[in-house]
Amino acid sequence: MTPFLALVRKELTVLFGSPVAYLTLTMVGLITALVYFDHLRVYNQILFLYSTTTMGGFDTATIPPYVNLRDQVFLPVMEQLALMLIGLVPLATMRVFSEERANGTDELLLSTQLSPNQIVLGKFCSTILFVGLMLAVSFVYPATSLLTAQLGLRHLVSVYVGLFALGVALGSIGLICSAFSKSQLVAAISAYAVAFVLYDFTWTSDFVGETVVEFLDALSLHQRFGGFAEGLVSLADLAYFAGITLVAMSLARLSLELTRVR
Amino acid sequence: MGARGSKVETVELTRRFRSHVAVDRVSLTIEPGESFGLLGANGAGKTTFIRLITGYLLPTAGEVRVDGFSPVTEAAQVRARLGFVAETSRLYPDLRVEGFLRFVGGARGLRGKALATRVEHALERFALEPVARRMVGNLSKGYQQRVSLAQAFLDEPTLLIADEPTGGLDPLQQEEVRDVLARLRGERTVLLCTHDLAEARALCTRVAVMNRGRLAALGPTEEVLDGDASLALFRSDAEAAPA
Repeated sequence: MTPFLALVRKELTVLFGSPVAYLTLTMVGLITALVYFDHLRVYNQILFLYSTTTMGGFDTATIPPYVNLRDQVFLPVMEQLALMLIGLVPLATMRVFSEERANGTDELLLSTQLSPNQIVLGKFCSTILFVGLMLAVSFVYPATSLLTAQLGLRHLVSVYVGLFALGVALGSIGLICSAFSKSQLVAAISAYAVAFVLYDFTWTSDFVGETVVEFLDALSLHQRFGGFAEGLVSLADLAYFAGITLVAMSLARLSLELTRVR
Repeated sequence: MGARGSKVETVELTRRFRSHVAVDRVSLTIEPGESFGLLGANGAGKTTFIRLITGYLLPTAGEVRVDGFSPVTEAAQVRARLGFVAETSRLYPDLRVEGFLRFVGGARGLRGKALATRVEHALERFALEPVARRMVGNLSKGYQQRVSLAQAFLDEPTLLIADEPTGGLDPLQQEEVRDVLARLRGERTVLLCTHDLAEARALCTRVAVMNRGRLAALGPTEEVLDGDASLALFRSDAEAAPA
């Protein structure tokens, strides 16, 4: 086992040695199920209305084109899954560096053959693996839309590529916050703050001009994820998420250097 | 790499934390195979000094060499020689003892059969077999310190740095740890950081006393720690002596 793989394995062992990982994955399953079935329930009620003309409903022939499983269930669920990632990913990342600093184990880690770059990369990879697992748990219900709503595999893949890219970016933001704090609570709260601010900039329209809002909106996680949710995989959007990840990893690396010169 | 241990040299080594000088122009040489004690009261600069040797901190001025390698620019070479025993609590409480040793061995570049053999050997050498499957965080302090020593020996380092290895242990546990360190005398270089004079007398051939970041004394253990006068070296108003 290389030092890098040993670190990834240790990170996953520590993560799954605590209840946080299981609670987070349970939350993912529960939230996805609740959100999915709630949207499905509302969609079924709308269909029921259209199919019960004798009871004062509408004629099925008048069902507007936007009333379909894709627009009424699948897309809103995916939007809410993106928000769910903001809520849950920081729970998994808050301890990654903070715990090492608080326990003093960073000193032990830095006395091994692991270089600072490997340490950051190893922790990042374990975070990615966990995000992947979260998405796998969430996949079950949306996958049923694949069979019943003729969404097409490509659309589903596109959405999940977007969710994965978003999850990786959120994980990276969580890592920086963890890298600059000894407290897991501070790491989680600051990760929430950064993620929510970055998620959507449309609220700034009350304070700044339209051009600035457009510019800020182009930098928002929500705007960049939107394309994937629509089934469009764009290189520009992927580059945006990769950019956030690279900046975050560089800052996490910097935090290790700052420890040495502080 | 020296056959009996690594040579450590510091030249005018200095570390400041803003206006506070934690290590002030310390120059000393630790010979291969030597058991060297670094003494001083709390806050004297001992831990900062060893952190400069391990490369965890960068010096403000001066330099460190381990077998001629700098922890600043040649960190990998220095780490390959280094075994580090931190204070008791600096372990991963959520890992099992065997898993922890496997991780540290892996992180030190051991793999496959060599890793399994070394872990097995370390468990046996430090009498950790009965607790091999237990969580590190659930062990007594004595066992935790054995785990800490075991991880430091996994890849047979030529330089062992032990920072307060008996701190917080009961007398029996302290004796166990001292026995382990005593057996290393002449086998490899040991830098023992402590404020326990009896421990230094029992384990070290030479000692340095640090006071307010400076070397207050340096020499053979019996000479430096001879009689009650040695206690004066620990007082904050003691004169710092040139190395």
